[in-house]
Amino acid sequence: MDGEAISAVDAAAKPGPDLPGPFGVGRYARKLQEEMRRRARVLLIGEVTGVGRSKVQAYFELRDGEGAVPCAIWLDDLEKAGLPAGGLRDGAEVVIAGGPDYYPGGGQASPSFSFRATHVRLAGEGDLLARLEALRKQLKAEGLFELQKQLVRPLLPKTIGIVTAESGAARRDLLAGLERRGWRGTVVWAFAPVQDRHAAPAIAAAIQGLAAQPQVETIVVTRGGGSLADLWAFCDETLCRTVAMLRVPVISAVGHERDATLIDDVAAVACSTPTHAAEAAVPLDCRAARGSLDRGVASLHRAAEGAIPARTPHLVALARGPARALRREQLALNQKTREIRAASERGIAERLGFQRRLATVVLERARRRAAGPEMERRREALRQAAVALRAHEPERTLERGYALVEGADGEPVSSSADAVAAERVKLRFADGEVGARIEEED
Amino acid sequence: MSEKPESYEVAVERLEQIIDRLDSGQAGLRETLDLCGEGRELVTYCAAELDAVGEGLKELKLDELAAKLDTPASPGTT
Repeated sequence: MDGEAISAVDAAAKPGPDLPGPFGVGRYARKLQEEMRRRARVLLIGEVTGVGRSKVQAYFELRDGEGAVPCAIWLDDLEKAGLPAGGLRDGAEVVIAGGPDYYPGGGQASPSFSFRATHVRLAGEGDLLARLEALRKQLKAEGLFELQKQLVRPLLPKTIGIVTAESGAARRDLLAGLERRGWRGTVVWAFAPVQDRHAAPAIAAAIQGLAAQPQVETIVVTRGGGSLADLWAFCDETLCRTVAMLRVPVISAVGHERDATLIDDVAAVACSTPTHAAEAAVPLDCRAARGSLDRGVASLHRAAEGAIPARTPHLVALARGPARALRREQLALNQKTREIRAASERGIAERLGFQRRLATVVLERARRRAAGPEMERRREALRQAAVALRAHEPERTLERGYALVEGADGEPVSSSADAVAAERVKLRFADGEVGARIEEED
Repeated sequence: MSEKPESYEVAVERLEQIIDRLDSGQAGLRETLDLCGEGRELVTYCAAELDAVGEGLKELKLDELAAKLDTPASPGTT
């Protein structure tokens, strides 16, 4: 403690940084006021919150998703603005004209900064559309419109989270749409105001709360139609950024077809009616799907039941196939056997004939080889016999001058008596015959 | 098919493929029997999924669900 006190004293004693001054704070405050009042006067647009009044002025904050400015307007100026009764209220979107101001305070009054408004009017459709367009461009440029659209939406969610007003037609219409799809799963309601300055943060919190539940597969945000000012909560930048970053698909069904809010741009799907939202939340028509599944069951049943009977004839034919083939092969084999036997017999006969012919030739040759000298001997003997025989032939005798006497019958006449008896004979010489008459010599 | 399908849509897509294949008459006996078995399991799964959203609408408030599951109903809630 002592050390800290000494340091503070030392710091006070030192001159500090080399800056102008020190100045009296009151004088500085007045200078600051002058500086502020010299700044440009502009128009601001935003949502009114924290409205309060003193005897002479009304004060409030003007804010949007990026920040806020404390504002004050003299009651005279407010009256001149001609706002409808209660026009300057929390949640109102207004356009104010003015510039920054600084109240230096006084002996008892506290100093304060404020935007001194000299005029105020309720924001018109054009103002809101301009703001919406600027926000749309910004979020689109950041790629926030695409994130939700890249998520896979389940065809058949079992649990759907719905953010809407607790009372209202949108809730009833959405349930009716789900019923028409034949969907009777679980709905988790996250009720939230849908039209005031509390709406946007409440809706964002509800969506985040639903997304934190593991079984919630799809979130629907819905409310009925209205003016752009009525739907302005759904153009809230913070809400739209929240939706864009969620990993659970969000389906927006805010207002009617002509109402284009910023949440429609960042959501996975934007629908024009709660009925359409129901169809987007449950893409599968459950009634049709049940019918389709029944048909699928029938197809499977037919395929399973028919699988074997349809193939039976073929199987039977296939079963007969081997026996037929075997018989065919057996017949062919028998035929071959017969052919082989026949061929074999033919072959044997031919071979036997050939062998016989061969043997004959061989034997003949052998016989000839063996009979050679004997034949020669026989031939020689034959030649000798022929010579001997020739020597005895009558012709040889006739050639030597003898004649052979033959009777009329050609028989040799070998005695004179026979010759007398024959009377006529033939005399056969070596070179021919001549007839002769026998005369008995006296 | 012995594993649970990833989702209803995956199951339905596979079931349609199976039925197309069976209707084509191109599948052999073994494939037909296998496809029929797989198809029956897919049908059972799909029917259970449809039954789960066909028994009757259940409505819960986020707070009730969060309390049941002991999860925060909003980001700031503990």
